[in-house]
Amino acid sequence: MSNELLVLIVLLVTFAAGVFVLKLPSGVALALSALLGAIAGGEGIPIRHLVEGSIAFLDPILIVFTAMVFMKVVNATGALASINFAIITRMHKYPTLLIILMVFFIMFPGMLTGISSTCILTTGALVAPALLAMGMPIPAVGALLAMSAVFGMIAPPINLPVMIIGGGVDMPYIGFEKPLILATFPAAIITALYFRIRYLRKFDIAQVLAKLPPTVLPKYGYKMFIPILFVIGMMIATRVLAKYIPDIGIPLIFLIGALLGFGTGEKFKLDKMIKEALHDSLPILAILVGVGMFVQIMTLTGVRGFIATSLLDLPQGLLYPAIAIIMPAFGSAFTASSVFGVPLVYAFLGTNEIVVTSALTLIAGVGDLMPPPLLLPIFAGQIVGEKNNFTILKYCAVPIILTLTIGVLMIMYAREIGAFL
Amino acid sequence: MKRHVLVAIFLLLSVVTLTGIASADFLRMYTADIVHPSDAATKKSSLSEYCPSLKGTSADTPVYYFDSKRPGATVLVLGGTHPNEAAGFMAALLLTENITVDSGKFIIIPQACGSGFTCTDPLEGLPDFYTIKTTNGTRKFRFGSRVSNPLDQWPDPLVYMHYPSGQSLSGFETRNLNRSYPGRIDGNFSEQAGYAILELIKKEHVDVAFDLHEAAPEIPIINAIITHERCKDIGASAILELELNSLTYALEISPKNFHGLSHREWGDSSSVQPFLMETSNPIQGRLRGKTNAELVTGGVDKFYAQAVKSAKFRITYDSANGYPLKVRVARHIAGIQAILTAYNETFPDKKIYFSNIPSYDDINTKGIGNFLK
Repeated sequence: MSNELLVLIVLLVTFAAGVFVLKLPSGVALALSALLGAIAGGEGIPIRHLVEGSIAFLDPILIVFTAMVFMKVVNATGALASINFAIITRMHKYPTLLIILMVFFIMFPGMLTGISSTCILTTGALVAPALLAMGMPIPAVGALLAMSAVFGMIAPPINLPVMIIGGGVDMPYIGFEKPLILATFPAAIITALYFRIRYLRKFDIAQVLAKLPPTVLPKYGYKMFIPILFVIGMMIATRVLAKYIPDIGIPLIFLIGALLGFGTGEKFKLDKMIKEALHDSLPILAILVGVGMFVQIMTLTGVRGFIATSLLDLPQGLLYPAIAIIMPAFGSAFTASSVFGVPLVYAFLGTNEIVVTSALTLIAGVGDLMPPPLLLPIFAGQIVGEKNNFTILKYCAVPIILTLTIGVLMIMYAREIGAFL
Repeated sequence: MKRHVLVAIFLLLSVVTLTGIASADFLRMYTADIVHPSDAATKKSSLSEYCPSLKGTSADTPVYYFDSKRPGATVLVLGGTHPNEAAGFMAALLLTENITVDSGKFIIIPQACGSGFTCTDPLEGLPDFYTIKTTNGTRKFRFGSRVSNPLDQWPDPLVYMHYPSGQSLSGFETRNLNRSYPGRIDGNFSEQAGYAILELIKKEHVDVAFDLHEAAPEIPIINAIITHERCKDIGASAILELELNSLTYALEISPKNFHGLSHREWGDSSSVQPFLMETSNPIQGRLRGKTNAELVTGGVDKFYAQAVKSAKFRITYDSANGYPLKVRVARHIAGIQAILTAYNETFPDKKIYFSNIPSYDDINTKGIGNFLK
């Protein structure tokens, strides 16, 4: 047995034992497995590497925390309830159209920022209560949010995993719109229809409205949507009008959005919102810290190279299913794109690199759903109130298979698709 | 005291201790590497001479001048544009510590991205230092990051819009010196560094400029000389000469729609003849195994040997000997010599002559350390 395989086993067994036997939070289990993995790899306790890995995701950590503060404020002002009331009263007669529009609405922040979690924490959080009120099961709503977030992250105009791969292969971010639309829009529509047919039963509008908190729109008027409009407006403006409007960063946009909540609706205490946001997001933040340490140790000890080389070593027939399994198994779209995306683009040179890269990012995007981090199921679980994140993942199974199939087919027929587009 | 308070205090103290230990490690990277310029050095300045706002920052990196005071071309050599590409820095250092200029002028910046030498890239598990044995003892050098330190330039935007083209790149690239050209005086930290280098090229009337790089073994442009379309004849001539010495290089012309890179923007913004050279560096590769200082200097990696065998795609890696630093540095030096020979043939009225630089074979047989002070 090679040393890298031994370290990989130590990493995975420690994580599993930490979560399932010792009942540690996932973030702590990841940190512990990184520590033991380093020791097994003959690195002793590499404090510099563990600390460096722990801050690798500092920017996403800030985004998640500030988005949570923003959503707490929007909820407290009553804007969230009012939006859901409006959605249901106006669209309840057209549930199929409603659910398709909701999926694209959830995807929207991800399309603009390239970050999947923003979909769940913003637009996802806005529509989740409406879906729940219409009788969709809690884990199904969580799964719909999580899948939409994956599609939003990959859909154009902004796809950060493509840019990460592009940085590695010196490929400018040009000409990706059509392949990315092909990769995501059909999958998003089919996913919406799947959830509509399978989980959204007939509902009595009167009963649904009775379950929802009352709208406070008549009391405060449209000013209560100022924070939401500001956040969505800034996300669009910093992309579309980049030459004129400086990119102040997503965390600052969320914080300003939260501050704009004062006086727009019901009263709230900001310190209470911040405390609640920190309390709710802490497990997720810990996972981001732990994942950073875990990946750093995988790289340091050679496990990352072992996995990448083993994947590329497979015969061509097995390579496609292996890509669909191993890329998501890395548990992070960005990491999988960086590690596997670059060599795989070279492995498929001569087909159509733009289509291949788009497809690889779609497959890598599924990684944000996967354990150990389970990032999107955890975010979605927070929003819908589902404690078992694996249940959300289970409800994602069919759309995941669909997504991976689309990704693999795009790679297999990249040349033909490229010629068609 | 309640149990959870005690646990919290314990955890806080642990974090403070661990952070303190790590901080000491991180701070060591702020100690500048020692450079012993050759006796031919006529001036030492720094990048802020060309962009005053860099004064006192980690981007204010030393610039060494070797002026023969005799007519001839002015040559600029940049090492360390990407500090994790050790052969670029080491080739520039070897020139700095040995060169004698007989006609014309050499300007050398061994660590072009000074900021990148103060940190390493998270998630990459990179060593902070590596050592080279010299005749006077062992010298230690910082490894560094591909991009500027986030402590100098943070946060990254989600998408980096290159100035002035508006080209979109990953946000991380906003700290990449070789995506920042032509730069701007009031731009971000990396854009200011890029601006300073281009100002140097213009003010010093640089005729030929080299940007020394390395890349992962799976990148197709390995062992390539990349140049602006204006300079393809000189590049082709140099490659022929290198072929005669059994050294294989590919000539690549800078893509016109890929902005921010030295071979594109230097050539577009000035009359300089820009050349960027790449060698194969296993520690940059995605397939590499154990990541440590030995991989920087030895360049031996079992997974790259395995990947070459599987032949899924082109990988530039010598399964028998790896790609040691001395070979990579020797290639850069040989490339510079060949290009300048070709330049002299093309511009006979503005020749650059220099000496005391070891040959490819000398570096390979005797090692780099033999040529460092």
